[in-house]
Amino acid sequence: MTDTYSGDIERLPRERIDEMLTNVAKGDEQAFAELYRATSARVFGVIVRMIRDRGEAEDLLQEVFATAWRRADTFDPARGSAMTWLVALGRNRTIDRMRQHREELLGEGDAPDIADEAPTPAAAAESSEERRRLESCLDRLEPQQKSAIREAFFTGATYNELAQRLAVPLGTMKSWIRRSLMQLKTCLEQ
Amino acid sequence: MNTPARDDDDLRCAEYALGVLDAHERAALEADVSRDPALRHTLDDWQRRLAPLADDVRAIAPPPRVWTRIRRDLGFIAPQPKRERWRDSLNVWRWLTIGASVAALVLLGVTFTLLRQAPQTPTTAAVSGEYMVASIARKDGVVHWTATVDVRRARMVVVPASHVTIPANRATELWLIPPNAKPIALGVFPPDRPATMTLPPEIVAQLSAQAVLAVSDEPPGGSPTGAPTGPVLATGQMRST
Repeated sequence: MTDTYSGDIERLPRERIDEMLTNVAKGDEQAFAELYRATSARVFGVIVRMIRDRGEAEDLLQEVFATAWRRADTFDPARGSAMTWLVALGRNRTIDRMRQHREELLGEGDAPDIADEAPTPAAAAESSEERRRLESCLDRLEPQQKSAIREAFFTGATYNELAQRLAVPLGTMKSWIRRSLMQLKTCLEQ
Repeated sequence: MNTPARDDDDLRCAEYALGVLDAHERAALEADVSRDPALRHTLDDWQRRLAPLADDVRAIAPPPRVWTRIRRDLGFIAPQPKRERWRDSLNVWRWLTIGASVAALVLLGVTFTLLRQAPQTPTTAAVSGEYMVASIARKDGVVHWTATVDVRRARMVVVPASHVTIPANRATELWLIPPNAKPIALGVFPPDRPATMTLPPEIVAQLSAQAVLAVSDEPPGGSPTGAPTGPVLATGQMRST
């Protein structure tokens, strides 16, 4: 457990992190260093969870923060938190890299095992209001569909890969995911 | 009022944010988002809805070398001195590139002047701007190539703006993505030196300020399918000069 944060040390209020990224957009190197300290472990955790290879995860984290520096001016706190912005950036870069690999390693099928990602009690206790709302909406889905959504989010798998891993036809997987996404939206907007 | 097209866009954004789309579908949505602020908002909403799931992932402190590399990459600290062969030096490439860009512009200038001087130059009414340009940049904003189109002569010049390296067994292919349309292959080009290509009239007809140029990573010789198969390396919106 030497390389893990318990989470709460670094968990600053949302407004504080938003402010850091807003200052980064003005070229504030100090704010950039603070932002990195406050958020890099969480972004790195998400990347490692998806790509596994630590060296590659480090390259991706470097790319994400270099992009954050250059593109901070596109961050709008009215449209989502800085943490959301960084997590989306990290996930999207990682997914792009995984798709690139897939082209290179065509045919090498080593599907990672499906880990049960149910939140740990500690994580659940400290989770945000938004997280709790999302969880209660996820709980309204069929158990298989909920697990497909979680698997997709945490691993960045394509429809095809999800269908193989969960051993259902591709068409079934697509309709599960699509229906679940629309149900989630409706539930979250209530 | 939700229209079927809007529902479809909403779903594509949801699928993108969740991460289930393949490289081609991701590239198509990214191109659409880059020219449609409303779609950008739809995508932001989906990223926001799903992001709290990331709270469940265990945080892992990255090793300190990553921070050092970020600061070096952004020029906050001087790179470690090491002897470089001149061909490897980015500065040399920059100067060569600037030289090449100037050369390309001079050539365009010559063309332009010749056209202007020619008596009774035939006027093509349909085209508003005579030249269009696009800065083809990576997602992090680093410009990889600049493309200049001489619309009247249907010629395009693509000039590298930074030192671009791709694996030896891969090729870069250029695509034109008109609004709400599939990418049209413009051809494979060398990533590291200026290239010119002649555009067929049906492609010139698709050029507009709403069109996007994209470069994808493809097998040697280009995409075997006629659609991008590899990831998109960089994109740029066309602009009239």
